[in-house]
Amino acid sequence: MRDEPDQDLDLELTSPLVPLFVITGGHALPPDHEYGHTTLVTAGEGASAAARTLSPEARQVMDLVSDGFLSVAEVAGHTHLPLGIVRILLAQMEGSGLIIVRKPVPRAERADRELLSAVLDGLKTRFGA
Amino acid sequence: MIRDALIWCLVAIAALAVAAAVVLFVRSRGLGEKKRRSEAALTQQMHAAESQLAYARAELQKHRDEYEGTIREAEQAAEESTKAVLKGAARFLQSLAAEQTTLLDDIQRKYGGHPVLADLLDVNHANAQMARKAQGIAVMCGAPLGRRNKPASVYDVVRSAQGQIRNFHRVEIMQQGGLALKASAVAPVALAVAELLDNAASFSQHDAPIEVTFQRVQSNLCIVIDDAGVSMSDEDRQRATALLSGDIVPQLSQLGNQPKFGFPVVGLIARQYGFKVDVTGVSRYGGVRAVVLLPEELWTMEETPPPVEEAPVANIRRVESRSQNTSRTMHGLPKRGARQAPIASVPDSPAARTAPRAPEETGRTSGRGLGAFQRGTLSGRNLDTPSFEGFEDE
Repeated sequence: MRDEPDQDLDLELTSPLVPLFVITGGHALPPDHEYGHTTLVTAGEGASAAARTLSPEARQVMDLVSDGFLSVAEVAGHTHLPLGIVRILLAQMEGSGLIIVRKPVPRAERADRELLSAVLDGLKTRFGA
Repeated sequence: MIRDALIWCLVAIAALAVAAAVVLFVRSRGLGEKKRRSEAALTQQMHAAESQLAYARAELQKHRDEYEGTIREAEQAAEESTKAVLKGAARFLQSLAAEQTTLLDDIQRKYGGHPVLADLLDVNHANAQMARKAQGIAVMCGAPLGRRNKPASVYDVVRSAQGQIRNFHRVEIMQQGGLALKASAVAPVALAVAELLDNAASFSQHDAPIEVTFQRVQSNLCIVIDDAGVSMSDEDRQRATALLSGDIVPQLSQLGNQPKFGFPVVGLIARQYGFKVDVTGVSRYGGVRAVVLLPEELWTMEETPPPVEEAPVANIRRVESRSQNTSRTMHGLPKRGARQAPIASVPDSPAARTAPRAPEETGRTSGRGLGAFQRGTLSGRNLDTPSFEGFEDE
């Protein structure tokens, strides 16, 4: 029964070997307002010692953020992981004190594109662009 | 005179007696002869009967053997045809499950930032378990496994196996070295380890840990799975050893209503791909220790190529522009330059959101002007708001 491996066509598995839900360890997504696109993260103090037991993905994130602040979206881009997965990873890493998270400066609230365009137009007509 | 007469009488009597004796003797001889003859005839008849009986017995045995042979052949044929049917169905399931896994992965990446991701992960988990069952049935029917064409670290192979069981979070993988499996061994070892993990999970308490460690023993690589369940009886152990060695291949019809094909599947693929599995050990928790022993043909010491190769810049740009709505991270530097990457103070217009990479249409001059204005407001605000550069310097 072990012979004739293939008269019928071979099935090739193209999906990633490690499924994403294993990478996150089955943890839930953090609440929406945490770890927005522009939230900045960096490595915490003495994190490199603890990093040895991390999964390869978490270690990759640690490497990325070890010498400075990096936005969550950038972490996602560099690791090629979906944003939600990165957020789960970051939440876990923050929980174990590996990273420091800095919330983005909140958006200026009243800024409105039309209004600004109008102001700009006004300035242009006043001073000449 | 009287004396003579007496003598004659005696002679006559003697003669009579002799005659009688002769007659008797002759007669008894005749009888003996007759008896011998009839005895001989009887023995002959008996022999004949015996040989007839033996013939009949032989005939009976022959028919019995033929009958049994026919039954066996019929059973074999039934088994083969059942296998053929099931094999076709299992292969179909197998390829559907593989297709679905790929699809789900794409969807997960597409909606990576969306709350629906949590549910997608659950669906993918269920699908991974289904794929394992489909693979198991296919193996039992003699179909080939799906194959992978890239080598992978043994850590990732075990994680792949981990994803194929229900309570995967109980699995703890203790070490990760630079040990890698060759491409041909990735799929079979993942399936075998998944079956062993499933076995470990179902024969121990639902929250007890399952530990996976790796050991190099001479030229072999061992994947050791320790559970904290109940240990097996000697009888179970013997049966498991026989199944895992691939010596006994239970027929499909013997698997019963709630088929357990974990060990038979492991035995089959172990034999097929040339590794060994042993479950006779006792784990450090008193449960079962399962060991997958991989000979040197199946693994290497080489560091596997990192799962994500150095990303082409265009790729990064695409991903980030989608997730961040601007192209500012196209600089691609881990270190942020604050002035080059201002925090958006202007809500993005819907047009920019849908087509972030077409700035030309919106008018180059007004865009540049807006940028200048934005930088101005930002530097103005920097006076009272601490910039993140301050944090960076700390």
